Amino acid sequence: MSNADKHDHHDHDADEPQALPADGDLHGLLAEYDTPGELVEAARKVRDAGFTEFDCYSPFPVHGIDEAMGIKRTILPVLIFGGGFTGLILGLLLQWWTNAFNWPWNISGKPTWSIPANIPIGFETTILLSVFTTFFGMWTLNKLPQVWHPLFRNERFNRVTDDGFFLGIEAKDRRFDAETTTKLLSDAGAIGIDKIHLDPDPAKKVMPKWIFAVIAATTALALIPFAIAAKARNSKSSEPHIHIFADMDFQPKYKSDVAMDEFADSRANRGNIEGTVSRNPASLKADEAFYYGLEDDPTPAPEGAPVATGPAKRWITGFPKAVDADQRLMDRGKQRFEIYCTPCHGYDGRGAGTVPNRVAQGGGLWQAQNLVDPGKKLITIPNGQLFNTISNGAATMPGYAGQIPHRDRWAIVLYVRALQRAQNASLDDVPADQKGSIR
Amino acid sequence: MSHENTLHPDEKYKAGKLGSSLAKAGAGIAVVFLGISLILGSMHPDGHMRRFLYSFVIGWSYIFSISIGMLWLIILHYLVRGRWVTVVRRICEAMAGAFPLIFVAGLVFVIPLLAGYQDLYYWAHPDAANPELNHTMIHKLVWLNPQFFAVRYVIYGVGFSGLASYFRKWSRAQDASGDPAISEKLRIASAPAMILFSVLTCAAAFDILMSMAPKWYSTIYGVNFWGSACVGAFSALALITIGIQRTGRLTRSITPEHYHDIGKWMFSFTFFWAYTGFSQFMLQWYGNMPEETVWYKYRLFGEWQWVSIAMLIGFWAFPFVFLLSRWTKRIVPSLVFFAVWQLVFHWLDLYWNVMPQYDWQTVFHEGQKIVIGPLSGNTAMHHVGFSPIDVTVWLGLIGVFLVGVGRNLTGNLIPVKDPTLGLSLSHENV
Repeated sequence: MSNADKHDHHDHDADEPQALPADGDLHGLLAEYDTPGELVEAARKVRDAGFTEFDCYSPFPVHGIDEAMGIKRTILPVLIFGGGFTGLILGLLLQWWTNAFNWPWNISGKPTWSIPANIPIGFETTILLSVFTTFFGMWTLNKLPQVWHPLFRNERFNRVTDDGFFLGIEAKDRRFDAETTTKLLSDAGAIGIDKIHLDPDPAKKVMPKWIFAVIAATTALALIPFAIAAKARNSKSSEPHIHIFADMDFQPKYKSDVAMDEFADSRANRGNIEGTVSRNPASLKADEAFYYGLEDDPTPAPEGAPVATGPAKRWITGFPKAVDADQRLMDRGKQRFEIYCTPCHGYDGRGAGTVPNRVAQGGGLWQAQNLVDPGKKLITIPNGQLFNTISNGAATMPGYAGQIPHRDRWAIVLYVRALQRAQNASLDDVPADQKGSIR
Repeated sequence: MSHENTLHPDEKYKAGKLGSSLAKAGAGIAVVFLGISLILGSMHPDGHMRRFLYSFVIGWSYIFSISIGMLWLIILHYLVRGRWVTVVRRICEAMAGAFPLIFVAGLVFVIPLLAGYQDLYYWAHPDAANPELNHTMIHKLVWLNPQFFAVRYVIYGVGFSGLASYFRKWSRAQDASGDPAISEKLRIASAPAMILFSVLTCAAAFDILMSMAPKWYSTIYGVNFWGSACVGAFSALALITIGIQRTGRLTRSITPEHYHDIGKWMFSFTFFWAYTGFSQFMLQWYGNMPEETVWYKYRLFGEWQWVSIAMLIGFWAFPFVFLLSRWTKRIVPSLVFFAVWQLVFHWLDLYWNVMPQYDWQTVFHEGQKIVIGPLSGNTAMHHVGFSPIDVTVWLGLIGVFLVGVGRNLTGNLIPVKDPTLGLSLSHENV
């Protein structure tokens, strides 16, 4: 806008349309109305006169203006529905692809793909794409932004975001005629009518180039992290890691048994601190039978055997003194076994749990141990060794020391023994008075 | 597109005989259907009027929920200085004002409890206090016992009736005086009223519906009940409003714009119900704790799974997709269809909440007393077992509700001197 335009428009008469200095082709007419109601009435008259290339501008949405202007209902809601639906499908596909297709992972025998678990994320992606469609759809359908629009050259129009109600008719409308259209707007109660001219500079009739530059630059910047990831995935490097959070990778703390010059003995480890209990197994877990299933081996070492550093140990065959192998322990063992062991070993201990079943369904070869097979050493190993296996695992079985307390592990040992006995029972085991009921 | 902001001079806004006719019709329905229900109930093979009382709790919760849903709308209207509601507010007030009668109707299942009836709520059964059987719920008996239950029932009755009559009384006083200060007074009252309403609604849902399965618990249960209640309440509001317009009253004041807003609320609460229902389900499904999942076990497997699927599709997916559109809410026959549809499914929702608990009973097994059926984790008695009593009691209680509404439809059907009336009359959805 040139400086010459900047004079006050407020006090001029509606009958004298005042043109900006003729600096370009005529874009159209801009009429100001005092109230939203008058704007609606004026829009109705302009529409009734057959105009199509006109628009209304107000600081807030005006009730009934769409109908007065003869505007069709927007298709935006339909687009939003499509966007939301697409979001739902993409969200579910993403989860299916990552969890069930590209990297299926057996977690406690649960299904890799399950709709309820995927609904929250599907819900989020539905909303995300609905909102994107709403936001960008609104801009696109309104052909925004139009920062170069010739109406901005009119100073009066600045009040459109405050208290001004405007109606603009474009000169390209086939019914447009500078004089009669001015009269139409004026008769509709305009409090001011201006002629709007295009900017003579052709560069100011289109989207400014810097906006495209900003969009292009932002897009390029947003792609950089993906480019780095793509490069890292497809190349080899002898350089060390990049430490983005160096203070997390190298924390200012001492690990045990490292040197530290501040103390006279040059050790970071300060030994037992007064008032604390040592986790030293020798003091805290002195009952070796209960905590480890071990006892001293009194049999003398054979001649010429290498000298052991401590006393020889062997697995206990009974139960530790701290545990009463009674019906209570058996019930507890049954319950714990069915919680922790049956997923792999099955209820009867034959190794037909849900996890191996799923592995087999997926074509895998892994099997759980049959705990009760008379041909296997699990029948004959001492109780202490069975306890140790539950505690620390064996082969592909992980240790359960973290999940199952010691007493419960002994309860499971008792129950496994009972299972082994029951699964390999013979007719002689049945009490004589009940033998008749066996078929 | 009405641009009127004053009541049309020819508008018929006096209730006249409308209320008493509705009350008479309601009384007829109530007497006929409750009579049939009593006969069928006494003949039912399970005895002890047990089926009748279970159905009664469902039907009672139904009219209770519709009534408090409208009370919620009135409180919200004042709280947010709403506008569009004003033209239908008298109808809402009549529906919320039915509460005292609903309270009296509920005594049908509260008084037997007090008198020692054991077959409705398991916590009222002597076995509930047996620590061998019920160590997971025995601590709840401080709350769940017939005496305290009856005390709380009276609190709900007084609370909801008081709120409803307070807002109704002052709204009517404004008809006479036209004092705009009354609107302001009610707006100030609406904030504490909303808090009181929320607490009472949640507690009532816990007591009357959730305690049917006394070992199970869900903190979102009351919110979910309120969501379902509002679906039913807005659907009922649409039907009653359309019915009143059919009598030639309020034909100029209530426009498709108002129906559009009622439809929007039906739509939003349809989704809200599904949202809270899924929230409740997913946490328990994922947590996979036996004391929580047992409640769903009886609803998602066996015969009840078909009811659950029907709920998912009928109460959520179908109305959700179709009520998205502007036109299904603005065209009256379409709105009527969805209102009736949602009213049926709101009842099915309550049925789905209550009836799976019906089959519990205590039996002796190998010398031990045990509970079998849904309360125990035993699937042996797991069936829907639909009975005609369920429907006749429901219809009878709808009759009771219509008596309550009809008695309140007197005088002006529109708050003629409400300051927001003009804005409500000229209300438009952009």
